[in-house]
Amino acid sequence: MPEQGEVRDAILDRLNRRLRTLCQCTSTFLQVESEQELLQSLCEILVAGGDCRLAWIGYCEDDADKTIRPVAQAGSGLDYVERVKTSWGEMEAGQGPAGMAARTGQACCVDDIRTDTRFSPWRAAALAGGYASCIAVPLIARGKKGGAVDLRGTLNLYSAEYKAFDESAIEHYTGLATSLAYAVTALRGHLADDLASGVTALRARAERKRSEEALHQAREELARVTRVTTLGELAASIAHEVNQPLAAIVADANACLHWLDADPPPFDSIREALAGVVNDGNRAGEVIARIRALVTRSSVAHGPCDLGGVVRDVLVLVGPELGRHGTVLHTFLATGLPPIMGDRVQLQQVLLNLLLNAAEAVRDVPPERRRVVVRSTLEQREDGPWAVVAVEDAGVGFREEQAARLFEAFYTTKPDGLGMGLSISRSIIDGHRGRLWATANPGHGATFQFALPPMR
Amino acid sequence: MLPTEPVGSIPRPAALIAGVQDFQAGRISQRELSALYDAAVQDTIQRLEATGSPVITDGEQAKHSFATYSIHGLDNLSPDGVPIPFADGHIRHFPRLISGPFRYKTPADVYLEAAQRYAHVPVKQAVVSASALSLLYPQGGIRGYSREEYLDALITEQEGEIRRCLEMGAHVVQMDFTEGRLSIKLDPSRRLLQSFIDLNNLVLERFSAEERKRIGVHTCPGADRHSTHSADVDYAELLPSLFALKANNFCVQLASEPDRKRVLRMIREHVRDGQRIFVGVIDPLDPRVETPEEVRDRILEASDYIAPDRLGTTDDCGFAPFSDDTSRTRETAFDKIRARVAGTALASRLLGLE
Repeated sequence: MPEQGEVRDAILDRLNRRLRTLCQCTSTFLQVESEQELLQSLCEILVAGGDCRLAWIGYCEDDADKTIRPVAQAGSGLDYVERVKTSWGEMEAGQGPAGMAARTGQACCVDDIRTDTRFSPWRAAALAGGYASCIAVPLIARGKKGGAVDLRGTLNLYSAEYKAFDESAIEHYTGLATSLAYAVTALRGHLADDLASGVTALRARAERKRSEEALHQAREELARVTRVTTLGELAASIAHEVNQPLAAIVADANACLHWLDADPPPFDSIREALAGVVNDGNRAGEVIARIRALVTRSSVAHGPCDLGGVVRDVLVLVGPELGRHGTVLHTFLATGLPPIMGDRVQLQQVLLNLLLNAAEAVRDVPPERRRVVVRSTLEQREDGPWAVVAVEDAGVGFREEQAARLFEAFYTTKPDGLGMGLSISRSIIDGHRGRLWATANPGHGATFQFALPPMR
Repeated sequence: MLPTEPVGSIPRPAALIAGVQDFQAGRISQRELSALYDAAVQDTIQRLEATGSPVITDGEQAKHSFATYSIHGLDNLSPDGVPIPFADGHIRHFPRLISGPFRYKTPADVYLEAAQRYAHVPVKQAVVSASALSLLYPQGGIRGYSREEYLDALITEQEGEIRRCLEMGAHVVQMDFTEGRLSIKLDPSRRLLQSFIDLNNLVLERFSAEERKRIGVHTCPGADRHSTHSADVDYAELLPSLFALKANNFCVQLASEPDRKRVLRMIREHVRDGQRIFVGVIDPLDPRVETPEEVRDRILEASDYIAPDRLGTTDDCGFAPFSDDTSRTRETAFDKIRARVAGTALASRLLGLE
């Protein structure tokens, strides 16, 4: 029997060793730069402290076998760690101290490896390594948000003595493992979390940009479809516009054929007729080119733009349609409108829409009110001269309560209207940093006008 | 024939290594140093072409290192960044960013332009991954320059670098992702690896599917002097995530793996549609030059797991990723590449791919 003094000395010696170990671990927690270095250092400190022969740390995998993967080890018989397979699942490989500790969150001690049945699968290898008892303490950390397990593993210690891990040792190593888990979490916080948060923010920004681009494309496509729909309304007039020069071309060509039979042929007349053919061909070509631009273009192309030219182009397309329904078109166009920065096709679309709305508004009113006025003016503002284009009609107009909703998408007063024309027109003008608005005329009808800033 | 291409670097000539030291000591001018770089690039390309390699690189002769070529010489860096410990005990330190804004100083297209002046066959261009350079940003942050700002600038720089290389006609642009396995050592939870993958994908997603056909990724456990930094990390930790990178070509270190068949099984399990695997058939760290027959057998072994139309060959790693590494000779590197080309031809014949 050891003397009381010897027992006291042994306890004191053990407590001193633990204190030294704790100090070294704390210092390591503060100094290491990587998780691997931290885990490895801790194993080495514990073995050097003399309380254990082998120390290893395992992390729990979420694979089918619920493997406990060794991530650091130090001490005598490292091949033991490589040879034995441990699990934190319910199967036999999970019934050892490491599996129990990981699964239950409680330390698990084996006082005598020779006799403890839970240790059967690893007994031979452990005895060959010179281990007599062991302890596994859980290494568990929870994530910052929601308490999900962020780290699950075990700290495993093997001693050459039986019953080497008493209550005070369990308490000591459990506390150490808790500190280790915190240190791991802190290190990961520096490395993984900081990078992850930066990447997440960039990912969110990239997704937002992608969505905005998709929305932009959808808007442009919608605008194109609306243009095509609008042109459909002009089909009869356009056919007439193209047919007229074609008929003239045929007539002139026939005349030329006839004149060529004469001897001598009347060359002056032939030349004049052929010049007519060229002019009429160009005229038909221009109509088709204008329509093609409106139909096929889908991407916006801002550039210096002559607004007067935009107005004239649209009037060429819409004029015949108005005439077909007995509507008189008056134009008062300012000369010398300054160039603006904009997309020609988009601006044509806006004016086309306003003119066709006006044409429809006067279709069923008495003949004397079937008139549409297009006016372009220059308006001096603080930032320079703004170009204003107004389309005025004496048609059915709109009621006061309708005024606020005129530019809403899908709002329409027409029985077969989609309600997109004015909404798209406003977004186009907004995109040009301009303004589109409507006013009810004092007598009859309404005036829709848009103003565009000067080019900077 | 099976496609075959190098990873990148070739040991620098002794005259160049001495010249760099002379320049640092102020004994020669920048112009004289540039002439040495130029001569090394020209000689390397000439000798690489002589190996019969259908695709070459500039041997990274003018690069300070595979990881720091774009930032070397920036005045807002400090040398005391993240340490990269190698298995033999030596440590390379990554630089640390000390202030913003961040811009590349010498992007990869500068090197490509020089190489294309001398090359007669397609040139491959390596670029360092955004994930590697993400380690430049210090853990404590930089006042007035957030990590998000830094990462945004980094992605923009890398997109520009890759896009210019593609536009200049690079055969393929290879993103060097050697920190994949290393990240498991730094963070066994694999969250760091996931962030690396996410970050690199933010770069790759800026390219169209057609452009990505000419973008590759190289992975290896590092090679410096006679050692690696993360060969002890099991490939199983990396491979499932690696193929989540939105690239089409993967140059995968394989020759030096202790159990190649196991790695090939994992590749077969995780590779995605449209991805081609260039298996490493040459081990740059092994001083012995492989025979063409050895290379052939390694390829045939790989073809048991990867269909020949999705297979290619490469070296496990560059032969001198760091410019001052003299542990291998240029002659050995060229001999090994010659063996790769010859062995690939032998295997192609047997696989009916001539």
